[in-house]
Amino acid sequence: MSSQDKLQKAIKVIAQLSIDTASRTFSKLIKAGATIDLERAFIADISEVTRMFSGSEDEVVGAYVDLVGDAPFTFLFFVSAPDSLMLTDLMLRREVGTTKEFDLYAKSAVQEIGNVLASAIVNVFSRDFGIAMKPTPPAVCRDYIGTVFEEYIMKSAGELNELFVMESRFCVVQFDIKCHMFIVPLPGSDEVLQTVLESPNMKEYY
Amino acid sequence: MRIIAVGIAEIKVVQPPALLRTNLGSCIAVCIYDPATATGGLLHFMMPRSLQGTAIVKKAKYADTGIQELVEEVKRMSQAKSCSGFVAKIFGGARVLQNISSDIGSNNEEAARRILKEMGIPITASQTGGDRGYKIEFDVGTGIARCQRFGEEAKEY
Repeated sequence: MSSQDKLQKAIKVIAQLSIDTASRTFSKLIKAGATIDLERAFIADISEVTRMFSGSEDEVVGAYVDLVGDAPFTFLFFVSAPDSLMLTDLMLRREVGTTKEFDLYAKSAVQEIGNVLASAIVNVFSRDFGIAMKPTPPAVCRDYIGTVFEEYIMKSAGELNELFVMESRFCVVQFDIKCHMFIVPLPGSDEVLQTVLESPNMKEYY
Repeated sequence: MRIIAVGIAEIKVVQPPALLRTNLGSCIAVCIYDPATATGGLLHFMMPRSLQGTAIVKKAKYADTGIQELVEEVKRMSQAKSCSGFVAKIFGGARVLQNISSDIGSNNEEAARRILKEMGIPITASQTGGDRGYKIEFDVGTGIARCQRFGEEAKEY
C-alpha cells in the first residue's frame, strides 16, 4: 500500500468513525431513529463533484462548519427545505407539522444540528486519534442544492483540483427525513494525518 | 434537447441543439455566443486571477485563463477567425455566505467585465450580485440564457 493509499485509508477510517458517532448523536438529539443509507469516500475532480448537483432546482438548508486545528477539515450538513421544517419541530419537541415556514427557529435548529454533529466529529478526532480540533460557529444557508454545495467546496477547491470527499446520507426513519453530511480535508491536514497512521488505534484497521 | 451540466471550473462548448446548465454562488458563469454561426459555450469560473508563476492545470478555475480558453474554444467550434462578432452574458457573483469577509463574488464579476472589455467582446446581458444563488440555462443554439435567482422568477436574456 503506497503512502498516499494509506493516507486515504486513514481519512476514510476517521471519517467513518466520525459519521457513525455523528449519526448516533443526531438520533439522540431529535429522539428518533436514524439509519445510514450511504457512506462513501471518493476522490473526485472539483468539476465532477459539483456536477452531481448542478442545475438542480432542489432547495436545501445547509450548515457549514470549519473544523480548525491540527488537521483542518470542512463539514457540511444539509436537508431539503421541507425536511428542515420537520427537523425544527423534532428539535423543539413539538408536533411535526407545526413549523410551516423557514423562520428564525428553523434556521437556529439547523445551525444547532450542524454544531452538534461537527462537535461529535471533533470528539472522535480528539479522543481516538489525538488530533486537537475545534468547530467554528456554523453558517446557515438556504438556497439551491448546487449553490450550497459549490460554496462548501470553494475553500478546498481554491488550492486543489481534486478533493477527497466523505459523503454520508442518513434517514430519520419515522418521518422519512433524508439528511446529508460531507467531510472534506482542507489543505494542511495531510501532515498530521500521516502521523495518525502510526497510532495504535489506526493499526487495527489494517 | 441535450441538457449538459457544467461543474465548477469547467468550460463546455457544444454543438446545438443543447442546453448548458449550472448553479452559481460566488462563482461567475460567462456565456459566449457567436450569432454568425449559432455557436455558444459556457465557463463557470471561481476565482478572479490565476497565480502567477505556477503551472495552471485547470484554466477554467480562473477568470483570466478561463475566459481566454472559452473564447478560443468557441472560435475553434465556429471556425471564426476572430472574436469580433461574439457577444457575452454574465451571471452570478453572489455573496451567499454573509460571514465570509472577502467578497469574492464582486471580485469575480469585476474580473469578468474587465477581461471581456479587454478582448473587445460586448456584454449584452448580465444579472449579478445579491445574496442568493443562481440557476442558469444557456441555449447554445439561440444564445438565450435563462437565469433564475433563488426565490425569484426566472428571466430570459
